[in-house]
Amino acid sequence: VRLWRCRCRALLSRPAAAPRARRGLAAGPEMHFGFQTVTEEERREKIYQVFENVAKKYDVMNDSMTLGIHRVWKDILVHKMNPCPGTLLLDVAGGTGDIAFRFINYVRSVRQRQLQRKLKHHQNLSWQEIFESYQNDKFNSLGDSQVVVCDINREMLKVGKQKAQHLGYSEGLSWVLGNAEELPFDDDKFDVYTIAFGIRNVTRIDLALQEAYRVLKPGGRFLCLEFSHVSNPLLSRLYDLYSFQVIPVLGEVIAGDWRSYQYLVESIRQFPPQEELKAMIEDAGFFKVDYENLNFGIVAIHSGFKL
Amino acid sequence: VRCQQYAPLRALQASAALRGASDEHKKEPWASSSQQHFDSPPAGHQCEEKPQGPHPSYTGQGGQESEDYESEEQLQHRILTAALEFVPEHGWTAEAIAEGAKTLGLSVAAAGLFHSDGSELILHFVSECNSKLSELLKKEQKLVQLGEAEKKPIDEFLRDAVEARLRMLIPYIEKWPQALSVLLLPRNIPSSLNLLTSMIDDIWHYAGDQSTDFNWYTRRAVLTAIYNTTELVMMQDSSPGFEDTWRFLENRVADAMTMSSTATQVQSTGEAVVQGLMGAAVTVSNAGTSRAVR
Repeated sequence: VRLWRCRCRALLSRPAAAPRARRGLAAGPEMHFGFQTVTEEERREKIYQVFENVAKKYDVMNDSMTLGIHRVWKDILVHKMNPCPGTLLLDVAGGTGDIAFRFINYVRSVRQRQLQRKLKHHQNLSWQEIFESYQNDKFNSLGDSQVVVCDINREMLKVGKQKAQHLGYSEGLSWVLGNAEELPFDDDKFDVYTIAFGIRNVTRIDLALQEAYRVLKPGGRFLCLEFSHVSNPLLSRLYDLYSFQVIPVLGEVIAGDWRSYQYLVESIRQFPPQEELKAMIEDAGFFKVDYENLNFGIVAIHSGFKL
Repeated sequence: VRCQQYAPLRALQASAALRGASDEHKKEPWASSSQQHFDSPPAGHQCEEKPQGPHPSYTGQGGQESEDYESEEQLQHRILTAALEFVPEHGWTAEAIAEGAKTLGLSVAAAGLFHSDGSELILHFVSECNSKLSELLKKEQKLVQLGEAEKKPIDEFLRDAVEARLRMLIPYIEKWPQALSVLLLPRNIPSSLNLLTSMIDDIWHYAGDQSTDFNWYTRRAVLTAIYNTTELVMMQDSSPGFEDTWRFLENRVADAMTMSSTATQVQSTGEAVVQGLMGAAVTVSNAGTSRAVR
């Protein structure tokens, strides 16, 4: 079902120089790419290349770098979301589909419980009615919930689709190529917008937040799972040690790509801390913005509502 | 530079559009409302620019409602009130809140504003019932003052007040044991206890209780015990019109009256309170399991 206008083609046809000219800048603003300084366009390209390179080994690297803890973080995100059947989720920078699959599992189990409760209440069903209700279950196991996975990187989406096929996820799942700074969707479409470990790679975070606000329905929720700043000094030193000494080495050994993982670690350090991100989310128009630190601030979940 | 003080008073553009359809005229409860109107025209103007397209049924009234801002608390209040309708079906859960949000035109994700165990919904309901009871008692008092009604004797007054308050539970009686167990969670005990004691105080206030000595504590404890035990009996009552419950209530109030005339008032009240609490703990666990099995 096509619920949204696809503006991807219009996006790609626009000349690259125009955005900069429109903003009235002379030679492109300076941005950070890890600890390097680059222009906006260069940054977008470099990040695209990073993820193109790591796409195939993305999940393996996640497991080895975080010792599997990233799975717990993502589980916590979906539990915090607590979606009920009928929810429309937009997972931006959702590449390999981790959040999408967890969402589908969660909604499926909630739906099961709902149906069980309904059956318990109907005490006087005939055998025919019971048989019919079991049949109907198959056709609405998700309760009309849907998740759209949007990513700017074709390679990541490819890996995600393959994973979905391999794990047997087909219902309620869509894959869309799109830029978080300019989403190819209509206004007021989604119940929940998530971006897990993706907003760090967005070049203009404020634009992404504005787009998030635009595509959410009134009452919709914005959730962002991202590496953040550790305030505890001892832990911070250990974390830095681990990040800069161990992770790039793992990157070279497992994925054969030290540079991309160096970028990853550096980009975590360059990302705004919890309070600053909270202020940016509020600026985009969200209400009740709050954050929850996981693992003492190594990761933080920011949440806001479009009210 | 964004002024932080404006943040909580910022208009909720979605609710501004939604309230265009409602007929009620809400009065701004804050003292700073005039300040707010003065300072936030830019924010308000920005809000009104947002197209009213997504809510076509509310166009034409948006302009009128532009002066009416709503805080987050008010919106949460409205969501919870709307959610009460779905409690008999879904219980005191985030699902009921999600359904309530849907009826207001908001996304189901708005249920994320609240705790997933439904505590806020229950506390909201309890405080609403308490307010309703207060109004009821105030009206009766006014009638008495105007001479249109007889002043009730104290035992009848207490009986009627407790009965009126407990009758408000009847539409939700199926799921009330669940609510009671949630209210007993350590996290919720300060709020639920607060609501309970303020309700009891209210009843005694309208009963004409002017005492400021230690009797005040005993009376509060006695009435709390009566209320709690009657509530628990009501959970398990299957008689038509809950007549067993009202008879139980009558007996307890009568006991309290005779108790107050004895010299060992304080001691027996303490015993009554302890017994009441013990009975409460046992009955809640039984009520919970029996309802769950059923």
